[in-house]
Amino acid sequence: MQPVVQFKNVNKFYGTQAAVEDLDLAIDAGQFVTLLGPSGCGKSTTLRMLGGFEDPTSGEIYLDGKPISHLPPNRRNVNIVFQDYALFPHLSVMRNIAFGLELKGLAQDAIHRRVTELLSLVSLADYAERMPAQLSGGQRQRVALMRALAPDPNVLLLDEPLSALDAKLRQQMQIELKSIQQKTGKTFLFVTHDQEEALTMSDVIVVMNKGRIEQMGGPDELYARPRSRFVADFIGRSNFIEGKVVSVSGNIASLDWQGNIIHADVNGTSPATDKVVTVALRPEALYCLTEKPEGRLALKGRITGRVFKGAHTSLTVTLENGTSLLVQLDPVALSHIDGDDVWIGWRERDAVLLAD
Amino acid sequence: MKTYFNDLPKTALGASYWLFAVYLVLPLSLMMVMSLKDANFIAFPINSWTLDWYAKVLQDRQFINASLYSIGIALATTVCATIIGVWIALLISAENIWGKAAIFALACLPAVVPGLINAISMRIFIRALDIPTGTFAIVLAHTVHAVPFVVIMVLTRLRSMPANLVDAARDLGADPFIAFLRVTIPYLMPALIGGMIFCVLTSIDDFVRTFFLGGYQPTLPMLIFAKVQGGMSPEINAMATIVLIVTTIVGLYAEYFTRRSRS
Amino acid sequence: MVDTTMQPRTVTSTAPPRYAGWIGRTVNSALYRNTIGLLASNRWVRLAVLAGVPLIWIAALHLGPILQMANISFLANYPPRPGVDSGYTLENYGFFFSDRLYFMPFVRSLIFAAVVTVSTLVIVYPVAYYVAKVVKPKNRMRALLLLLIPFWAGELIRTFSVIMLLANRGAVNVLLRELGFIDRPIPMLYTFFSLSFGVVYLLALYMLLPLYSAIEKIPTPLIHAASDLGAGPFQRFRRVILPLSKDGIVSGCSLVYLTTIGVFAAPLLLGGPNAVIFPEVIATLFHGSNDKWPEGAAFSMLMLAVSLTTVGLFMRIVGGRSVRLM
Repeated sequence: MQPVVQFKNVNKFYGTQAAVEDLDLAIDAGQFVTLLGPSGCGKSTTLRMLGGFEDPTSGEIYLDGKPISHLPPNRRNVNIVFQDYALFPHLSVMRNIAFGLELKGLAQDAIHRRVTELLSLVSLADYAERMPAQLSGGQRQRVALMRALAPDPNVLLLDEPLSALDAKLRQQMQIELKSIQQKTGKTFLFVTHDQEEALTMSDVIVVMNKGRIEQMGGPDELYARPRSRFVADFIGRSNFIEGKVVSVSGNIASLDWQGNIIHADVNGTSPATDKVVTVALRPEALYCLTEKPEGRLALKGRITGRVFKGAHTSLTVTLENGTSLLVQLDPVALSHIDGDDVWIGWRERDAVLLAD
Repeated sequence: MKTYFNDLPKTALGASYWLFAVYLVLPLSLMMVMSLKDANFIAFPINSWTLDWYAKVLQDRQFINASLYSIGIALATTVCATIIGVWIALLISAENIWGKAAIFALACLPAVVPGLINAISMRIFIRALDIPTGTFAIVLAHTVHAVPFVVIMVLTRLRSMPANLVDAARDLGADPFIAFLRVTIPYLMPALIGGMIFCVLTSIDDFVRTFFLGGYQPTLPMLIFAKVQGGMSPEINAMATIVLIVTTIVGLYAEYFTRRSRS
Repeated sequence: MVDTTMQPRTVTSTAPPRYAGWIGRTVNSALYRNTIGLLASNRWVRLAVLAGVPLIWIAALHLGPILQMANISFLANYPPRPGVDSGYTLENYGFFFSDRLYFMPFVRSLIFAAVVTVSTLVIVYPVAYYVAKVVKPKNRMRALLLLLIPFWAGELIRTFSVIMLLANRGAVNVLLRELGFIDRPIPMLYTFFSLSFGVVYLLALYMLLPLYSAIEKIPTPLIHAASDLGAGPFQRFRRVILPLSKDGIVSGCSLVYLTTIGVFAAPLLLGGPNAVIFPEVIATLFHGSNDKWPEGAAFSMLMLAVSLTTVGLFMRIVGGRSVRLM
């Protein structure tokens, strides 16, 4: 199947400053794709290039197979939900949603049918005559979403639309956004710096850093198998340890880590022997026991810090070799621990080798 | 408040305010009262009241003609100044325009040049272009004078406009021209109405430019000037009172709108 | 693509919706597409339309007249007549210094403008302060509006009302005589006093608004803090309020000064033979029987240069950031 959106070797420079470099990205129809990254990583520029508000310096963008890089925004069939919604303050909710339809030259009753349909989709039928200033943040968000959906775009672009909402409302809107995407079957391209939003809603996450794609994949894949240190750190939290490769057999590499032999998943890399590599360990993948287990990896350490976080507790464990590891325990696991001396270990496949 | 301000300065400030208010209001109210006096000179006390002066003024063809002429000039000025003012403001607020500060300074120039010099330079200018003195010259001069104020009012409003409103319109399929008509203009409306009323009032009030550029037909200020030079009479009082009441109503309306545009 | 999942719903609002159908029809019409639509989508055309009219207007009508005036001020004769020298000369400027009748009114004008500016500042400052800081916020607009209303009356009407107040048969003299203080009217009109009184009356607003907005912006806690630290009313004013309202003072004074210099109708009506100021002199050069345009232009240039330099120097010395025109 032909991808809906395709970036081919796209570069964007501001002067000599690269905002986006060598971007190759294909987005399949009907998917919820998230561009995730810190501010300044090029995700918004990518979105604005697709929307038509920035010209790529080089490369080509295709929408439904047709090159669109140099078309003005009004001649591209994509619509944006802006960060602060950009609702027209002088138009009622209805007229805001109808804006794109009016420009298409639709008949009155066709416009009206579409607007009513969309309003009922987000249960705002009773607010049709209100002005944007009379709506709450969540309602404005929904109106902006419906306004962008109204002209039936090939792709809906969402530019950090949830960042202005408070935490509770944001979670609610995440669920609603996902369900609207599923109901309408539209392709959503969502831009955010919030990893939780990305993990909750996306089919595919594209992690960007310094104008380049770091890694692309499903949320579970990115979480469990981060390819780079940046991804491992940006999505969730990780412990990083560096060891020298001793041997590799199949998918498992054996490493020398300050005198201990540990095992880790090669994670698609092909490490050479004697090379120093980085391993990422999720805090919740570590086990923590009061007695040395038999036949399993176990390193002796001492709890030097505890932070209670409600559903779980974060422990800082300082090992005998001086390294500190972050361990995350649920209340059940925590209840088995008394005293500060512990043994730490992990399953081989939970430790992943990073490419950098 | 009371603990911080001891009462003496506060009372003095209050007194200064009320004295100032009296200073501003007294001459005008005196004028209004005198317009009702049943005698053709000013004296106290007023023994009998009359509305005859008003009747006389309202039947005065000269007054009516001058008023209509002034209103016509003011409306023409307003239309021109608004269009050009908005245009200049749009240019200044646009991105990637080189020399913005200089354009802004030059756009404001006529507001800083003393009125007399403005009028004289315009007189010289139209003579160089062979434009006769008269209605067109007056409208031109009034427009030049009013443009800076429109520019400033519109720019202030434009600065408060979220940048992505126009982007949103473009995104939904509007070309730049339609986006301007459907989004920018409605957003500017309060500033435009405020600016237009300002143009009308300054144009109707202007004396010096009309004095240098006018033809034989007198505008309202020219008429009042001629009458005042002729000496005091309750008729002028009545005429001035009518003008005062009308302009005040228009002015209050302008206040209401500019205030709305600021909020 | 049709969303089959969406349930069509009946209209819930009673009022029939009114959408702008004409926009779609216009935008999608061939006529529009081939004219404005085509032009609007071209970036260079857009830039030309955006910049063309404003730049031409500003160059022709904001700069043009001043430049033409400057040009004429150096001409020996204008308009050029056959047989008469029409080359460039500095004589018109020399003419100004040749006669006391010219430069005395000029000096008087400058002094007059300075006096008016300072008096307006002194009179209006406490008023602006009172409205901005002492009046309760909910009454503030009303207090300001009471002062604004008289200004909508217009220049001539206000000048006329001042005449009514100060004339020999005006209200003040009539009142004083009725009360028995004087036998003969005090001549107040057609003097320097009546002129200043009138011009202050005309221009107080230009001082009031900038001062008010500057003082209103001073955070009240700052003034409280100063008195908390032991500053008396005078110290508070001198060390806190005055420096913080500097912007307003600069814009107010500049506006009043520039407007006073160019004020025209008021001197004709309120000033007498002893209070002739420069604008009248210039006007006679243009309107009198002896048409002396080059001299008039030179005088205007002098006035413009001196007034703008004065304001410029003032702003530089006091150090205001910018003149706000509103």
